[in-house]
Amino acid sequence: MTGDNELSAINNAAPARGAQKKLSRRKFLVRTGGVLAAGAFGAVPLRGWAADPINIGALYPTTGSMAQIGVGCVAAAKLAIEMVNEAGGIKSLGGAKLNLVVSDVQSDTTVTRTETDRLITGNKLSAIHGCYASALTLIASEVAERAKVPLITGSSSDQLNKGRTYTFTPFARASQFAKAQLQMAKLVSDQAKVAVIFENTAFGTSTSNGLKELAPGEGVEIVMFEPYSAGFTDASPLINKVKASGANTLFSISYLNDLILIVRTVKQVGLNVAINGGSGGFVMPDFYKNVGKAAEGLQGVAHWNHDVSEEAQKVNVEFKKRTGEFAFEYAGGLVAQTFMLADALERAASADPKKVREALSTLDVSSGYAAMAPGGKVKFGPDGKNVYGRPVGVQWQNTDLVSVFPKEDARAPLMKT
Amino acid sequence: MLETLVQAVINGLLIGGIYALVSIGVTLIFGVVKIVNFAQGEFVMIGMYISFFLATQFGVDPLVSLVVSMPVLFIAGVLIQHFLIRRVLGPNDMPQIFLTFALSLLLLNLSLMFFTANYRTVHTSYSDEALHLGGLYIPVAKLIAFAVAMALSGLLWVFLHTTDLGKAMRAASQNRDVAMLMGINPNRVFAVAFGAALALAGAAGSLLMPFYSAYPFVGQVFVLMAFVAVVLGTLGNVIGALIASLMMGVAESLGIQFVGADSGLIVVFAMLLLTLAFKPSGLGARRGR
Repeated sequence: MTGDNELSAINNAAPARGAQKKLSRRKFLVRTGGVLAAGAFGAVPLRGWAADPINIGALYPTTGSMAQIGVGCVAAAKLAIEMVNEAGGIKSLGGAKLNLVVSDVQSDTTVTRTETDRLITGNKLSAIHGCYASALTLIASEVAERAKVPLITGSSSDQLNKGRTYTFTPFARASQFAKAQLQMAKLVSDQAKVAVIFENTAFGTSTSNGLKELAPGEGVEIVMFEPYSAGFTDASPLINKVKASGANTLFSISYLNDLILIVRTVKQVGLNVAINGGSGGFVMPDFYKNVGKAAEGLQGVAHWNHDVSEEAQKVNVEFKKRTGEFAFEYAGGLVAQTFMLADALERAASADPKKVREALSTLDVSSGYAAMAPGGKVKFGPDGKNVYGRPVGVQWQNTDLVSVFPKEDARAPLMKT
Repeated sequence: MLETLVQAVINGLLIGGIYALVSIGVTLIFGVVKIVNFAQGEFVMIGMYISFFLATQFGVDPLVSLVVSMPVLFIAGVLIQHFLIRRVLGPNDMPQIFLTFALSLLLLNLSLMFFTANYRTVHTSYSDEALHLGGLYIPVAKLIAFAVAMALSGLLWVFLHTTDLGKAMRAASQNRDVAMLMGINPNRVFAVAFGAALALAGAAGSLLMPFYSAYPFVGQVFVLMAFVAVVLGTLGNVIGALIASLMMGVAESLGIQFVGADSGLIVVFAMLLLTLAFKPSGLGARRGR
């Protein structure tokens, strides 16, 4: 028994990374040492001895172009793990603590593939969460599928729900975002003429296709539909095109830097359009810092917002304390995801990834941190999609991001600017 | 339609002015020192951060901070040439390529470490302003950037054509060995060329700051265009790089406007391939082949 424990201590030492991990390892060794000493004196108090920690893999781009968001995600992941552990860990596993194994996917698809592989083969993982950007998550979920390790993600691409049994998406899908955006456009103008511009990778394409398909049904006319390559030097030609299209609403499905340029350029041109920045970079605290007052009144959609529930507000306060910023969409959603994993582990009473997958597939929560989502309920369908998942419409008001749509989730009325 | 076309050309010229500052630096270094500086974009990034910190810490207007970023990067260029580049100059190109590439990666990762990957923006009174002429608009910050870029390019041209040092640089770029035989001190010429090129990158950074966000990877966005302009305008040809940069800005803008918003780079690279196919030494070459 003790021999086994020593072995697992060594196993845990191998992938140890970061101060937090080292600390838990030290604690673990101290405890192991205690057991050994107790064993030597004849008394073996097995009850008081902590169970093996449960490894949760976290794949985020902490370097590279998406580093800033990736670092925020890791901060949220750590916060969530601490919250679960402080509440007593996984009780059905003897109070086992969750242990975060972070891996940097460097904002790069090739690295994502190798890192996901490395993370799974190098550690005994019960589940994985990641990777923020849909393009990266698609790759990671493929690898996780083959390795039979469940992956839970806030990424919104609908492709994540196709042909996968180990991927779980507790939040609104890209196609649902589209519907919410169209309905918000109608709130601003009865005759919404929408120009859609989107970055041409998985995130932008899937979101925009949803918009295109749903627009006629929602009674919204799309007067311009244009992909662009992310990371441009100048938004003027694109905005010039929007101007020529005669649109009164602009949907921009963009990462942060492009969106900053787009909004500033719209202002320079003096173009009078209501802008819906979608999700992604738009719902980040940095957006307001970079755009300033021009951001006021801009609308967007998110799969999570820091005012959706009481629990969300608590998470927000703690996250703000640690990072200085409000809990952004992905960070807050990630805390909820961790609690969903904890719920599944609790019911599975096993750290085996296959059993965790089983338990996730029967997850059904409507209260607590795990249900901290627009709509307030999480239950996965056979495609890994939360059957209750829906996006929340948000608007920048007085430097804060406020939920304004739909009515049930709204915390303030939509400002018509 | 005509208005849209004119607007597209204006947009292209304005951003082309920034491409020009970067590409002239690359082509100057290539012409005189005969190495390709892969780190040029990172020096634009440093120029941006200099302006950003002067603006946020001391309230200096980014355009005014040009007088800081240019000399700082000039000195950096002289030092880099003296302590790094000089030692790898020789018949073999590989060490030079690795040196500037390593420099690029080093600067990139250092800036990620010190500045983090956050986007940093400076708001000036003219950042979001534009001149409106009929249906056309000209963003003030970009217009200033363009004017200063053209003025600096002009100054460089005057320097290269009227001063002894400038003439020595041109001589070295035309035929280094003969220039050396005529008594030109290569180290001095190389150091000034490298310094001037980096000063231009710094200027590009400061000029970008009022309307573009600074982040560690920002240089890579511009350096890609700069390399195309350098090849298009004939390696080592300053005027060629200038004209090619403006052409590329316009081609990119027209491409986005009339072909599709994700085709800007397609148009630019198609232009590069066609030029290389029919005029392999670039548009600035005196003879076709």
